[in-house]
Amino acid sequence: MRQRFHIDFVKKSKIFFGISLGIMLVSLVLNIFVFPTLVDIQFTGGTIIKYSYGGDLKAKDIEKTANEAIGTIESLAKDKLTYSYSDNLASSNANDKHIVSMQFTGNKAVSVEDKQVITNALQEAYPDNNIKEASSSSVDASKGANFFFKCLAAVLIAAVLMIFYVAIRFKKIGGLSAGVMAVVALIHDLILVYFVFVLFRMPLNDNFIAVVLMILGYSLNDTIVIYDRIRENRRKSGPKVSTAEVVNASLNQCLVRTICTSVTTIFAIGSVLVVSLIYNIDSIVSFALPMMIGLVSGSYSSLCIAAPLWVMWKNHKDKKRAEAKQNSAKEKAAKKSKKSDSKKNENAKVKEKTEKTEEAKAEADTDTADGEPAAE
Amino acid sequence: MKRTKKPVFFIVFALILFLACTSILGIYGENGDFKVTYIKGINDIRWGIDIKGGVEAVFAPANGIDASDSEMESVKAILDLRLVSQNVTDYEIYPDYTNDRITVRFPWKSDEKNYNPDEAIKELAATAELSFRMGTDQSGELILTGKNVKRAYTSYIQTDQTGTHEHVVNLEFDKEGAENFADATLTAAQNSSQISIWMDNELISAPSVSKQIPDGECYISGGGSGGFSAAEAAKLANTINAGALPFGLTVESYGTISPSLGSYALEAMGIAAIIALAFIFAFMTIMYRLPGFIAFIALIGQMSIAIMAVSGYFPVFPSFTMTIPGIAGLILSIGMGVDANIITAERIKDELWTGKTLDGCITNGTKGSFAAIFDGNVTVIIVAVILILVFGPANVLSAIFGVSTTGLIYAFGYTLLVGVIANFIMGVGASRLMLKSISRFKIFKNKRLYGGKKS
Repeated sequence: MRQRFHIDFVKKSKIFFGISLGIMLVSLVLNIFVFPTLVDIQFTGGTIIKYSYGGDLKAKDIEKTANEAIGTIESLAKDKLTYSYSDNLASSNANDKHIVSMQFTGNKAVSVEDKQVITNALQEAYPDNNIKEASSSSVDASKGANFFFKCLAAVLIAAVLMIFYVAIRFKKIGGLSAGVMAVVALIHDLILVYFVFVLFRMPLNDNFIAVVLMILGYSLNDTIVIYDRIRENRRKSGPKVSTAEVVNASLNQCLVRTICTSVTTIFAIGSVLVVSLIYNIDSIVSFALPMMIGLVSGSYSSLCIAAPLWVMWKNHKDKKRAEAKQNSAKEKAAKKSKKSDSKKNENAKVKEKTEKTEEAKAEADTDTADGEPAAE
Repeated sequence: MKRTKKPVFFIVFALILFLACTSILGIYGENGDFKVTYIKGINDIRWGIDIKGGVEAVFAPANGIDASDSEMESVKAILDLRLVSQNVTDYEIYPDYTNDRITVRFPWKSDEKNYNPDEAIKELAATAELSFRMGTDQSGELILTGKNVKRAYTSYIQTDQTGTHEHVVNLEFDKEGAENFADATLTAAQNSSQISIWMDNELISAPSVSKQIPDGECYISGGGSGGFSAAEAAKLANTINAGALPFGLTVESYGTISPSLGSYALEAMGIAAIIALAFIFAFMTIMYRLPGFIAFIALIGQMSIAIMAVSGYFPVFPSFTMTIPGIAGLILSIGMGVDANIITAERIKDELWTGKTLDGCITNGTKGSFAAIFDGNVTVIIVAVILILVFGPANVLSAIFGVSTTGLIYAFGYTLLVGVIANFIMGVGASRLMLKSISRFKIFKNKRLYGGKKS
């Protein structure tokens, strides 16, 4: 078979795990100390109102007028209000080029009547600026939480069925462990997608759920294509070739395909991202950006996380089996000294092999620790 | 192995071309002044409010009242009536009986200029005003209002001496209502005039009165030859009950997107789609040459099927509301389609380097790649089906979370499922047929066309 790459993924897995854990750690520290997680009103409850306007209008003036109007509304007194501003680059119409966004965080939604009071106040104060409501959304807190838990339930059900399917289809290479490692890789991707949302200051919303689901599907497909190669190569190679060698060969054979598929998919999402950045469509930007990074992570985790992790698991199992064999062999040897020579020889071979992987295994133990509880 | 015949390529290619043209352009005819749609095209796709702009609102009974299921039915009936009377036809309405919530979602009309989301929501939530009036005009003398109606319900009874049964709507009034109604029916029966029932400004029924009704209980029959159908009777009863609801509606949550913001999104997605397709075409043809080119044709076929499933190309499948997560699902399925072809093309390349014949390489390559494509697609199908089951209008988790009101994730599952099935048909089936067939032509025998060494 033609093989263009000879990268020892299994040997370098320490580096890969290090990179992944490093990114996660740095992100986590930033998340805790610098960028707290923003949760969209979709999950927490609250209201966002966006107005489009044209001409020169100072933020100070808008806020003054709006705050005066809000001051007359009793039910909004306790809400926290933040203003933000952006421009619509694609708008050919100078009348609606600018957008001001008002976010109310509180448990109760801003009622339609209250919203009209604010809208009227702004329109009356600045009649020449063509102030119009561009979009608004308001969600009750209890409904948001309910939606969130439902999403979680769906992801969990999907993960369990996935492990189940992989366990059946890849029985020949020890399906259950393969399924669990595939899910560990998925969790890796989901954590990274989460940090993209955190670091780019995008609130978690239903786009987050859509991205999570898509990455789940994509990363899983990637992992399965690689498992399929491993299954095929295992069958061809026979029992003498080590798991690490089979996996390395399989990964290298799949490398071109993984890269090509990623390039096309990433480019497709990338064009969506660039165009929606030009048009300044937040709802699509906040979906395309994490999806792009998620796709990179999905391909990477299949190659560098799922497969090497699985090798470690396999070696760990083999070692245990060898130890068991060794023990029983010792007992046998004590009884039947005749056959002991050939047995000892074999044990020595196994021992030598396991010692080689000992180092890698120790690393695996620490690395799987953060993914394993969720995978169970 | 049976060899694929030469003309197969052209048949499949023509079929894909036909599907692509009809699914994008649609087929329309003219019947007098009316435009008749024979096959729905891309312009008939119903875009979700996150793309096109529109209004979504969740209504709940005011003051946290625990409404019964039949009361919720009445709320739905009144919302239906109001939306239709506002000329909104492509709305979606989801009642959630467990949590007493009702979600309404509708896009702006394409020619909407003076949109006012606040008014639209307020009109929907306004307290229903039911009135019974003398005569068939709204200015007729007021007999009684919704608060006098104790209840309305349907029954199937014998209405005349000949023994025919029909569906009727029974009405029960309170004491004041019964007295007023007795007086009114006496007058109406004497003048052989009608009594009309109004919901807001809509005439919902105008039964004629045959005799005085003194006891505050009566029924409305459908009249005509067949009377009411069961559904018609239920609708009328629900609407009358809505006017008698002991509670008003509050807007629990809402979302509005202006039509101009929506149109930008649609334009942007169109541009992005064209750029992405052009890139995939270039990339695939350069990387994989002939198999890459064929993969692109199959990709067009796959997209056509997906568009067909969304636009309602086949009248048996209802059309589908396309949202941003729906587009994400399509992109993922297209990614999977491209992937299936890349896996196969890579295999064929590998085989060519071993020096086998072209036919043998294509056969081995397609065979060897099938398991991976199959397993990858099936797992994604599992994800899609779970999403449809969990986030569908009525779903497997309804018992825990109530009936779903967020259709966004459902849309993702739906387009993903359709896309992956289309991938099996096109990306796997059609592209292999085309490849095997085209490789039988002499000019396409050169191994370099398949990424191999010069033959």
